[in-house]
Amino acid sequence: MIELTLPALAEAPSPFVARLRTRRDADTHPDDAFLCDEDDAGVTFAGAHGLLAIDGMAATALDGDVVLVQPDGGRVERLLRAGSPHNTLLVTERCDQLCVMCSQPPKKTHVDRFALLEQACLLAQADSIIGISGGEPTLYKEQLLAMLERVLTARPDLAFHILTNAQHFDAADVVRLRNPLYAQVLWGIPLYARDPALHDRIVGKAGAFARLEQGFAHLVMSGARVELRTVLVQDNLAELPALARYVTTRLRFLHAWSIMQLEHVGFARNRWAQLYVDHSRDFAPVAAALDHAKLHGVPARLFNFPRCTVPEPYRYLAAASISDWKRRYVEACGGCREREDCTGFFEWHPDAATKGVHPL
Amino acid sequence: MNVVPLRMRPLGGEQVLCVHDTGRFFTTTPPFLHRFAADQLSVADQTFLAEEGHMVAPGDALGQAGYLYDLAERAAHAGPLDYLILVPTLRCNLSCSYCQVSRAGLRQPGFDWSDETLAAVLALLDSLPGERIKIEFQGGEPTLRPDLIRTVIERCARFEERQFVICTNLQQIDDDILALFDLPELYVSTSLDGDALTHQRHRTASKGATDQFLANLHFVIERYGPHKVSALPTIDPLDPPEIDTLIDSYAALGLDSIFLRPINYQGFARKRHSGSREQSETWRAYHERFVRTLIARNWADRSRVLEESYTSICLRRIFQPGVDRHVDLRNPNPLGHDYVVIDHDGLVYPTDEARMLSRSGVIDLAIGDVASGWADHRRDLLNAHASNYDDPACQRCAYQPYCGRDLVDDLARYGRIDMPRLETEFCRRHLHLFDFLFTLLYEDDPAVRYSLSRWLRLDGTPNALGVAHA
Repeated sequence: MIELTLPALAEAPSPFVARLRTRRDADTHPDDAFLCDEDDAGVTFAGAHGLLAIDGMAATALDGDVVLVQPDGGRVERLLRAGSPHNTLLVTERCDQLCVMCSQPPKKTHVDRFALLEQACLLAQADSIIGISGGEPTLYKEQLLAMLERVLTARPDLAFHILTNAQHFDAADVVRLRNPLYAQVLWGIPLYARDPALHDRIVGKAGAFARLEQGFAHLVMSGARVELRTVLVQDNLAELPALARYVTTRLRFLHAWSIMQLEHVGFARNRWAQLYVDHSRDFAPVAAALDHAKLHGVPARLFNFPRCTVPEPYRYLAAASISDWKRRYVEACGGCREREDCTGFFEWHPDAATKGVHPL
Repeated sequence: MNVVPLRMRPLGGEQVLCVHDTGRFFTTTPPFLHRFAADQLSVADQTFLAEEGHMVAPGDALGQAGYLYDLAERAAHAGPLDYLILVPTLRCNLSCSYCQVSRAGLRQPGFDWSDETLAAVLALLDSLPGERIKIEFQGGEPTLRPDLIRTVIERCARFEERQFVICTNLQQIDDDILALFDLPELYVSTSLDGDALTHQRHRTASKGATDQFLANLHFVIERYGPHKVSALPTIDPLDPPEIDTLIDSYAALGLDSIFLRPINYQGFARKRHSGSREQSETWRAYHERFVRTLIARNWADRSRVLEESYTSICLRRIFQPGVDRHVDLRNPNPLGHDYVVIDHDGLVYPTDEARMLSRSGVIDLAIGDVASGWADHRRDLLNAHASNYDDPACQRCAYQPYCGRDLVDDLARYGRIDMPRLETEFCRRHLHLFDFLFTLLYEDDPAVRYSLSRWLRLDGTPNALGVAHA
């Protein structure tokens, strides 16, 4: 597991963003902090905000990272790790849905960090894709869109992947979202079932399905790029083929449909027994959904499905989706030829749920 | 009132196919049609139509937006020019009975690109955006001028994505040609009419030339693998080869795709095969038997999937609009935009068939030349008629969303573009093809579903490929 937060001491009185550098080269920025000392305990950088001492990691492992320093909390958050394709910025912890399997249970309070996150985006490595998550990012839609527009204007090489429940788009957003800048944005939107009542129950919000359909309508008219996300739980597994028919009749505009296995964290941790389905025991509904989507030209894929648990004809659809910092492999993965392409397991995946894993 | 834009077509027996504007479809029986016509749809009818996306309820913003999206998805949009068919020479070392292009003799002067034409082609390449390029070298026999092919290919080095196809009779391979074949982004397309005797009768004329061709074909496939080579049989509908023999000659070479092509009513074939103006029922029956033979063979030997290329393309068009970029079947069919043909004399044509037709002296369809361009009134005139949306027969046809428009084919056969659509060979051919495909789609036979699923590029074989409503 890769640590995203490290203990740190900083001279500055208030939070700031810096890019950590081990040496000076042609590509320097006023927000860079340069290495000035390294010993067994940690490393010290110096930049515009004074000295910054970070514990528990070597300087080379931090080189190029864009970090948010919290002097009060005595820590740094590694917002954008250099070389990682899995960097996600959390813009709020508030949410208006309460999904049964939520991996990041919401909080009532909101800390506005938009200005710092924007500063971090501007320091991102060339051509990188930045994830944005929450909570529900569009609860702060105005700040979010304004940030995206400013960043993408300054950095047209960047792209964003934004997880949202699409409950807050309205007709007035259509013209704004038609701005060509948004070609660099992919909206990841969850939909769990074709039956409105079942979807509403899973997301814990009455009327969510109806509101989501309105959101989709606005996104179609905006020409937005949308990735649909469906996490498998016991309640919707059998409904997956019906959802596939819904997708191919009403959501043909989708850029991709990601069918996702459950993550043993957040709410899912305590509800694992009621939620988790072992797809390797009953792959038929998943296969039917995949076939139907492909028949109608909607590109579907499997996230968080270890390759050896997926029947061969569909295995190529199982993407290495688990982020590097929380991915692990189990003993049985030793000697597997497909390990490089395999998603592996979440760091917190229960061992009991890795039975049957075998090298390919 | 809800608008339900459905068009119907009988499928045989009591079955009626209903196709929505957007191409989604279902089958039903006459009682539903009576309820539909009398505006007396039952609740079950309405639920079915709504869930399958055939009916958009008032106030359903997503249904309305999705409907517009799906309609737009069915329309072909020509991107920037990125596909060229080049004819560096019209000379050829064979004289096939159904040659489509009116060839020139092997040693005839004046049928190769001049220095000026080559320079204009290279300047054209330099002017393109530079992301993608596909070039097909046609003839004549293009390998008579490997120097020109090489110069063009080298000039394309700056494109991110490159694909080259040499359409050759493989009669002769020397070191220069082999060096071209060695390029990984280059593919070889040739003609193989079936067994050696059939091929010889129409093409190679002598046993020596036939043996040479077959030896070269084997050599190329062995050297690069079957993926490097595509081959097409030209079929004389009045004397078609035995089906299994034809398939065997392809399968033995590792070639799984067979593009069954009746003699094109073009060039010399207009005289020597005048019966090819209209494809008879005999041809259509042969095509059906051919496809059914493939289905049986695929089911018997699950280790490989054989297909008839055009049948597969039409099948995918039913479900997956825009998935293949097949410029011979699209609607609208924009001419002279995303692809053009540049002839041996530098003249530019909208399609290869237009080039043949012009050479035959039927009509001059040149839209310009490579040096001075082709964006003038001649191109606009063609494009004013290049869609099936406004044709009265197409507007009423269930297959309109899947079908295309081919002006040049109409001109070739009838010398005019205003024939009643149903009286054209293009229409009859596609009506038959789509009728046949929908019959297959609703056939309750695992062997049929197996082949259709493979041709649709599915990973599994669904229990049904189409829905029915009682």
